[in-house]
Amino acid sequence: MGSFRLLEILAGFRAIISFLIIIVTWQSIASLGLVPEKYFPSILAIAAGFRDMMMSGELVSAELRTISRALIGVASASMLGIGLAVLGDLFPSFRRGFAPIAALVQPIPPAALVPMAVFMLGLGPKLYAFIVILVTVWPPYFNGVAALASVSDVQIRTGQMLGLSRWQILRQIKLPAAMPEIFAGIRYASSISLIAVVVAEMLAGHDGLGFLLIRKAFAIRIPEVYALMFVCAVNGLIMNTIVNGLRWKFAGWQSRMTGQAA
Amino acid sequence: MDVVLEARQLAKAYGVGTDALQVLGGISFAVSRGEFVSIVGPSGCGKTTLLFALAGLQKASTGTVTFNGRSVTAPPRGVAVVFQDYSRSLFPWKSNRDNVAFGMVRVEGLSSAQKRDKAQEMLEAVGLQGFEDKYPWQLSGGMQQRVAIARGLASQSELLLLDEPLAAVDAQTRADMQDLLLDLAVRFQQTCLLVTHDVEEAVYMADRVVVLTRRPTVVDHEVPINLGKRRDQITTREDPRFLAARHDVMMSIRSSRTAAPATAA
Repeated sequence: MGSFRLLEILAGFRAIISFLIIIVTWQSIASLGLVPEKYFPSILAIAAGFRDMMMSGELVSAELRTISRALIGVASASMLGIGLAVLGDLFPSFRRGFAPIAALVQPIPPAALVPMAVFMLGLGPKLYAFIVILVTVWPPYFNGVAALASVSDVQIRTGQMLGLSRWQILRQIKLPAAMPEIFAGIRYASSISLIAVVVAEMLAGHDGLGFLLIRKAFAIRIPEVYALMFVCAVNGLIMNTIVNGLRWKFAGWQSRMTGQAA
Repeated sequence: MDVVLEARQLAKAYGVGTDALQVLGGISFAVSRGEFVSIVGPSGCGKTTLLFALAGLQKASTGTVTFNGRSVTAPPRGVAVVFQDYSRSLFPWKSNRDNVAFGMVRVEGLSSAQKRDKAQEMLEAVGLQGFEDKYPWQLSGGMQQRVAIARGLASQSELLLLDEPLAAVDAQTRADMQDLLLDLAVRFQQTCLLVTHDVEEAVYMADRVVVLTRRPTVVDHEVPINLGKRRDQITTREDPRFLAARHDVMMSIRSSRTAAPATAA
């Protein structure tokens, strides 16, 4: 019984515990000298690199640029994706016409878009907007189209019986019903948006985390490179927390209904 | 008699040419104000197709439906449908009160506070006080169907179209719900049309039973049920007039079933 209680308490801290396990493993590998310290710095060295970049201010400014690019990008892409899905729902011919374009553009990796985007849009904010939107619009769009099409016909007939127009049914019944699936798409889009922004900054940027990472790598500042990798990982968590918060507001009923945590 | 709903020579075919499936073959009947009419027929006779045509949800191929003297081409105001599949008819993102209030979404001249009060009143009428702030998925099947009924009543309906509303609930709940529906129909002056495959239920609930044939479906005959408005689950079901009506309806359904060619329903 006592050991059972202990397990329960441990389960409450599982995120912290797995993080500690990673730190301890990392530190042991580094201090045992299994790999050259130059390429696999200790946690302390990484922390020192992190502190240096914080002190110089370069990390904060790079981080703010990167995360805001990703956030603005994924927010616009989500709006656009939902808008296109709604258009596709109202006009099936639009959906059919748009399908080949989507099929063609969707598989292009973000890195492959960068040269063309630089020629077309230069190196300014338009570059990031273009790349992020072009790679993250698809999950909300495809999920939106599928979810809007699969709304229960009984719910739609209920709306018709209550005298709702097609547009009102879309806004008051189909969109709320589709929200959980749309948010699953946005969640996925938010992680690709971070990748896309960092890749674009690495290839064509003059600021942001990706740019800083490349600069530190060429300067062989290994601890800083690792510290920046951690920052990228934390960005993923931040993004996920924001998206989950919004999902709870707009589609939380589904989690409550199925009894799962966000 | 004041006719609320009338179907004249209602026919519906799916598909065209030799592949066409004639489902409804010219159905005519009328429902008067305050009446409770049941429609029964053999499986696959197109009861749901008929109900959708009556509700204005689906166009008939030929024939007309009139509601309060006006031709039905789209869902008319004053008609509510209670669907069999209550769990897919209610909105899981809305509380029970909001689901019921949504019945008044197009009702004008009521403030949202008044709609809220009205929703509360309807939930109490179906016996769900205390469940207003819960969600449909927190309720049992029978309770969910009560929410859907309350929503129909809240929409200021005068005609309730009941599409096998109790087919998915357990037997004891079904008996309670039958009595609840009968009580609500009188209290809120609803004209009711119940579509069901359950002959006992059809006879128990109705003032008149319309018996349908197999496809292409027409009205076989009508059976008046002279049992008065007050029904009782035990004594009504033992009444010789109940048994005679049940016998009559069952016989005609059996004869159309045995006459049916072996086709997929």
